[in-house]
Amino acid sequence: MRMTPDVDASARRTKTVSAGDIAMSCRVRLARNLSDERFPDWATECDRERVFAKVRAALETEKTGATLEPVASFDAQHLEMLREAHLISKDLLEHAAGGGIARLEKSQVCMMVNEEDHLRIQGFSFGLDMQTAWQRADQLDTLLERQLNYAWSPRFGYLTACPSNVGTGLRASAMVHLLGLRLLGELEAVVRGLERMRLLVRGIGGEGSEAAGQIYQISNMDALGVSEETIVQRVARISGEVVRQEHNARVRLVQEMPLVLMDCLARSLSVLQNARLLSTVEALEFLSAMRLGAALGFFTRLKVFDIDKLILLMQPGHMQQGMKTSLMSEERDEVRAGFLSRKLAHVKLKG
Amino acid sequence: MKCEMCHQVEAETVVHKTIEGEILELFVCQECARRESRRDVPHPPLPHDNGEDGVSAVPLMGMILDAAFEIVGKSINREETACPVCGISRGEYRKRSRLGCPACYEAFSKDLEAAISDLHRATQHTGKTPEKAKAAWQRQQLLNALDDAVKGQRYEEAIILRDQLGKLGGDESAKGRLAP
Repeated sequence: MRMTPDVDASARRTKTVSAGDIAMSCRVRLARNLSDERFPDWATECDRERVFAKVRAALETEKTGATLEPVASFDAQHLEMLREAHLISKDLLEHAAGGGIARLEKSQVCMMVNEEDHLRIQGFSFGLDMQTAWQRADQLDTLLERQLNYAWSPRFGYLTACPSNVGTGLRASAMVHLLGLRLLGELEAVVRGLERMRLLVRGIGGEGSEAAGQIYQISNMDALGVSEETIVQRVARISGEVVRQEHNARVRLVQEMPLVLMDCLARSLSVLQNARLLSTVEALEFLSAMRLGAALGFFTRLKVFDIDKLILLMQPGHMQQGMKTSLMSEERDEVRAGFLSRKLAHVKLKG
Repeated sequence: MKCEMCHQVEAETVVHKTIEGEILELFVCQECARRESRRDVPHPPLPHDNGEDGVSAVPLMGMILDAAFEIVGKSINREETACPVCGISRGEYRKRSRLGCPACYEAFSKDLEAAISDLHRATQHTGKTPEKAKAAWQRQQLLNALDDAVKGQRYEEAIILRDQLGKLGGDESAKGRLAP
């Protein structure tokens, strides 16, 4: 006889999912260029070094507290860790000559120099607190503007290397975990709706990446013809609506498909506790399910924050840093499986 | 990037078009590519097309299309000139989807107007204004207008422009342009 799950018991033990369990973090990025310099893609090494020097001097003069370091001064592992934490992009690493990174850790701001544009100022914040992320980026931008001659025109605003960023040069993005909508088969409709509202939906790694672990970035398509505040408020408001839809999807999953949900969680825990080899993408898929289970309160001694930490620590750069050695791909898979197995050994599915 | 013929959908392929003896490479969508390839195939004569009076439906449509394409072609030829500041040509920036320098926005303005309108559904900035950049831009505009006025021997206008430049302050470059 097939066991019918106790729906009421599932619903009773389900903890209230907070917005922060679904909206992981947010970022506001400002693209800026210097008026009398070629854009990085077309610049010579000498041009890029000159831009680097101008920006470094501006940061020092304004006493921002940030020091601009050349990309070349970081070791490969450290750069990989910064990329895994979404503080720098793959593009910056490809443009190593004249490339720079400036961090204001206290104020959660990270700036890339000589990426696609001369400056990429990024402000970060938790959940959907996009206003704070915007204020952080804007503050540094305003200080730098006093020292640097930005490329700007009254018609097109801030001039950028790619016309898709021209205008405010602002991209506001929210990172959201949408596994509930995926399991209910409703994610495609939500994504289509967002695209109709001229919002971009991309995978965790940004442009051109797959949505591994059902973690998506929602960001604005239009950067011209609207004010910065309007963009930020709009992305936050619509992302908030997506979070509400994901929340409803999770409630329905618990109420209407408890067997499917529990099976998904049990399998994920079992694989993560017992696998001997796990690739990053594979591990992310299972951790994504664990994250959903933790948000719903289905696991003992496991919080969403613990999973978010594991998602970061199990990535190649962080793992190798932890091991203090560089590993081949297969070695990494073995180490990753062992690491996750140890970290989750104490976790049990409730009920 | 958007199709360079219809500006509606993403470009997926490349077609080559000879305009006034010059071969141009256009990034276009599948539909426009098909339309172009059909245009390259000569139409078989229709039963009522006697080829003498030349007044038949197909040649007439062909003439309209040719005229339309000539207009586009002329505009393309004009954009083929390189940016005077960084030297990047229209073809080069299209290949890499990246402009060469801020002055490219002026140099390729015709192309960019359509592309920017497609991308953002707007063509006018309404956001943050950096005071320093705004002043520099105003100064440059006044200097350009002053140069034009001097070249055109419109001295009264030039004096007004020089005074306006003087009010902006901070730069002596206007003084040499107009000897009292």
